[in-house]
Amino acid sequence: MTDLRFDLLDADGALGEAVASLHEHSRADFLRTAMVGSGALVALFARPASTEARTRDVEILNFALTLEYLQAAFYTEVERIGSLDGALKRQSRVVGAHERAHVRAFRQALGRSAVARPRFDFRGATESPERFRRTAVAFEDLAVAAYKGQAGRIRSRAYLASALAVHAVEARHAAWIRRLAGVSPVLEAFDEPAGKTEVLRAVRATNFIAKTRSRRSPTYTG
Amino acid sequence: MSASGDTTTVSLRRSRASFLRSATLGGGVAAAGFVLAGRPDHAESAGSAARDADILTFVLQLEHLQSAFYGEAFDKGSIVGEARELARVVGGHERAHVKFIEDKLGSAAPRPPRFDFGSATSDVAAFFEAGRRIEDIGVRAYNAQAPNLTVAALGAAAKIVSVEARHAAWIRDLAGVDPAPDAAEPVLTAEQVQAALRDTGFIR
Repeated sequence: MTDLRFDLLDADGALGEAVASLHEHSRADFLRTAMVGSGALVALFARPASTEARTRDVEILNFALTLEYLQAAFYTEVERIGSLDGALKRQSRVVGAHERAHVRAFRQALGRSAVARPRFDFRGATESPERFRRTAVAFEDLAVAAYKGQAGRIRSRAYLASALAVHAVEARHAAWIRRLAGVSPVLEAFDEPAGKTEVLRAVRATNFIAKTRSRRSPTYTG
Repeated sequence: MSASGDTTTVSLRRSRASFLRSATLGGGVAAAGFVLAGRPDHAESAGSAARDADILTFVLQLEHLQSAFYGEAFDKGSIVGEARELARVVGGHERAHVKFIEDKLGSAAPRPPRFDFGSATSDVAAFFEAGRRIEDIGVRAYNAQAPNLTVAALGAAAKIVSVEARHAAWIRDLAGVDPAPDAAEPVLTAEQVQAALRDTGFIR
């Protein structure tokens, strides 16, 4: 990066690349970097060098993975049941594909350190458009706050960049489902973070996590 | 542009409270710092007060652009319905972002450039296209720079970037464009942001 100063912009000069082609370019670059193995994002997850940093980051990535498991399972079940139509159905399919891509990326980054997928019981939340909307709004807003709460704790630059890339997408999801639910897509000028304890308390309160699958793997509280 | 070079000043063991107290962008973050060398993987390693200020100066101008755009669209009054509501709500957020960043930069904050939005603040199709562009640029500009910030500044920027992403999704959905086109948000480098903004023709 040479210079960030906007006032050096040559507003009168020749036009640069079209925004569209710029975005295409950066998208193509991104995909070349990210589409490795089974999921997007994977190549971004380079391992941090130090053990201390790695331990902290693994804990954070597993926390994120748990939230992604929850969301992915929710949208996948909605799609399987077929309880939605029209714009909601489209939203659930697109967002579900994103959440599944996030799961794959985190699992790949974590390798054998990845927590096991919990068993979920959505207690009817996937069975009607009304309950789907309410639950999806809560999940997406929670995910935005959760990623934001962890950003400053992440040690690896690669992990941070990846988490921020997911964070922004969760915010897009949140605004999208909020609009479809007939509530304001954005509430305040600043989105507040939520700490891990607060997020896990909210998740636990839903009773959507039925039980952990295996005896030894850490639960989502880990 | 940053003076930090290879030696990295980070504040390793700030408590949550002191973190919040010191969440002043571009000021005093390194004061209680701890010097670490040769840890390029470290998220905190890139940060310095000087670099924070450079990045804030950069994003401030994006916020100025957005703020002026929605303000003008609302004032002209030819965009109606939910698009007008969006201009009102989002415009208010962008003004709050401008004020927040100006407060952090103090007297170093640059004055806003002059803008010419043409018909983009009166014709609804042009409004959607311009709004989508400048919101997507905003999200991707913040995300590209965020790993270069100090932890305190990162915390503040993270509170803004998700709001920009919500704006982007809102205007996209309203315009009939996919609100979330990617599973992972792409980034735009500073050069790419400059080119994209130049291409809008909005900056005089």
